[in-house]
Amino acid sequence: MYNLLIKELKLGVSPFFFFMPLLTGALMLIPGWLYFLVILYFCFITIPNMFGGYKTQNDLIFSSMMPVTKKDIVKARVAIIVILELLHIIIAIIYGVISLRLYPNLNYIFFGPSLGFWGLCFIMLAIFNIIFITMYYKTAYKYGAATFVAIAAAILFAGGAEWLGIKNSFVFDLFKGTGADNLAIQLSILISGIAIFAIFTIIAYHIAIKRFQKVEV
Amino acid sequence: MGFIGANGAGKTTTIKSILNLVRMDSGEIHILGKNMTEHEIELKQEIGSAFGDINFYTRSKIKTLTNVIKRFYSTWDDQIYYKYLKKFNIIEDKKIAELSTGLKVKYSLALALSHGAKLLILDEPTSGLDPVARDNLLDTFQEIVQDGEISILFSTHITSDLEKCADYITYIHNGQIINSAEKEEFIDTYRLLNGKNEQLDLVKNNLNSYKTSSFGFTGLIHTKDFDPTLDIKASIPNLEEIMIYFSKKEELYV
Repeated sequence: MYNLLIKELKLGVSPFFFFMPLLTGALMLIPGWLYFLVILYFCFITIPNMFGGYKTQNDLIFSSMMPVTKKDIVKARVAIIVILELLHIIIAIIYGVISLRLYPNLNYIFFGPSLGFWGLCFIMLAIFNIIFITMYYKTAYKYGAATFVAIAAAILFAGGAEWLGIKNSFVFDLFKGTGADNLAIQLSILISGIAIFAIFTIIAYHIAIKRFQKVEV
Repeated sequence: MGFIGANGAGKTTTIKSILNLVRMDSGEIHILGKNMTEHEIELKQEIGSAFGDINFYTRSKIKTLTNVIKRFYSTWDDQIYYKYLKKFNIIEDKKIAELSTGLKVKYSLALALSHGAKLLILDEPTSGLDPVARDNLLDTFQEIVQDGEISILFSTHITSDLEKCADYITYIHNGQIINSAEKEEFIDTYRLLNGKNEQLDLVKNNLNSYKTSSFGFTGLIHTKDFDPTLDIKASIPNLEEIMIYFSKKEELYV
């Protein structure tokens, strides 16, 4: 597994995608923007480009010829997705903190960069992962439909959450009202988000292994 | 061992099954006495394989690719690797895409030999090479198997390759193995008959297939079915003729 991960880092994934969070994260500095987009750029840009690369470079044959199990191939691939996702979120969080300092008295229409908001981002990526990873491993090379459906679901979640944040007084309170200053509430949303992210990704990983076993290279 | 068959006969599918790349409907694969499905990781350490040429990560430098690949093998030996690179004249700083077809095959050979593979499985290593490069590669194959430590299984549709260097031949046609034997024995199993058209009826039922022309007929027959007392000229066929007459047989029945 470790060797395959090294392969992803050295061959599979262009270094650009490891630096991209620095650029997309900087979008957090736009005051009062729709910050879900910052994380969604990972789904819009990194995922299809990365998987297009695997397809054109015949990564599937390469990995299959190495002395590794199919399970390890999936594990390394899921690991690299999670690493990149965490990189995007962590760097965005840092920019978010700067953003909060820059504009202390801003009235947010959309969610501001609070801990609770990052919890929602984790849930959004959880939804993305469970759809994308499981659909992709039906063939292990066709990424178009999987990306489309997974992005659509992630956008629906983000849009729905923003809508509730504006229309629903409870959600508004939680993120923009009194709840915004309550560290316990914010932290518990974040932790639940991380938990959902972990559970969904692990489920996706297990389904992917089952499907990949049936794939003919 | 050489593995021959026409395009689409099932050579690559067989090789992919051996390497557990496709799912098998039935049957078992045993390599070096071990079951492939049970000992896949262990066996893949001892097998070197190449498909035609290397066509993955072609924009990466050889050095980068090797550094990634060598981690997978516990028995990797850098000394052997550099020895072969030098021998094959491969420059480490070049990209895969910059290598000629022959060099790509040689690079996969170098990789396989450096992790001490006992069995090399090569799918059409000689296809797409010019006669000089092909001959050169076949010589390399012979050097590798000379000590008796390493075996090579390679598929091809270029029959002259096998005549030059294979010890054993397996012939596959339409997914069925027609014959698998030592080269001399394999060829000796068949006779090529040249006779007059009037004589055709005498042997017609025993022939695998035949061609007729105004000069007479030519047909392939199993040596055991051939009656030497007949006044028909019989010669030993070459592999190409065996292949051609076998595929003709198929057409006859369609």
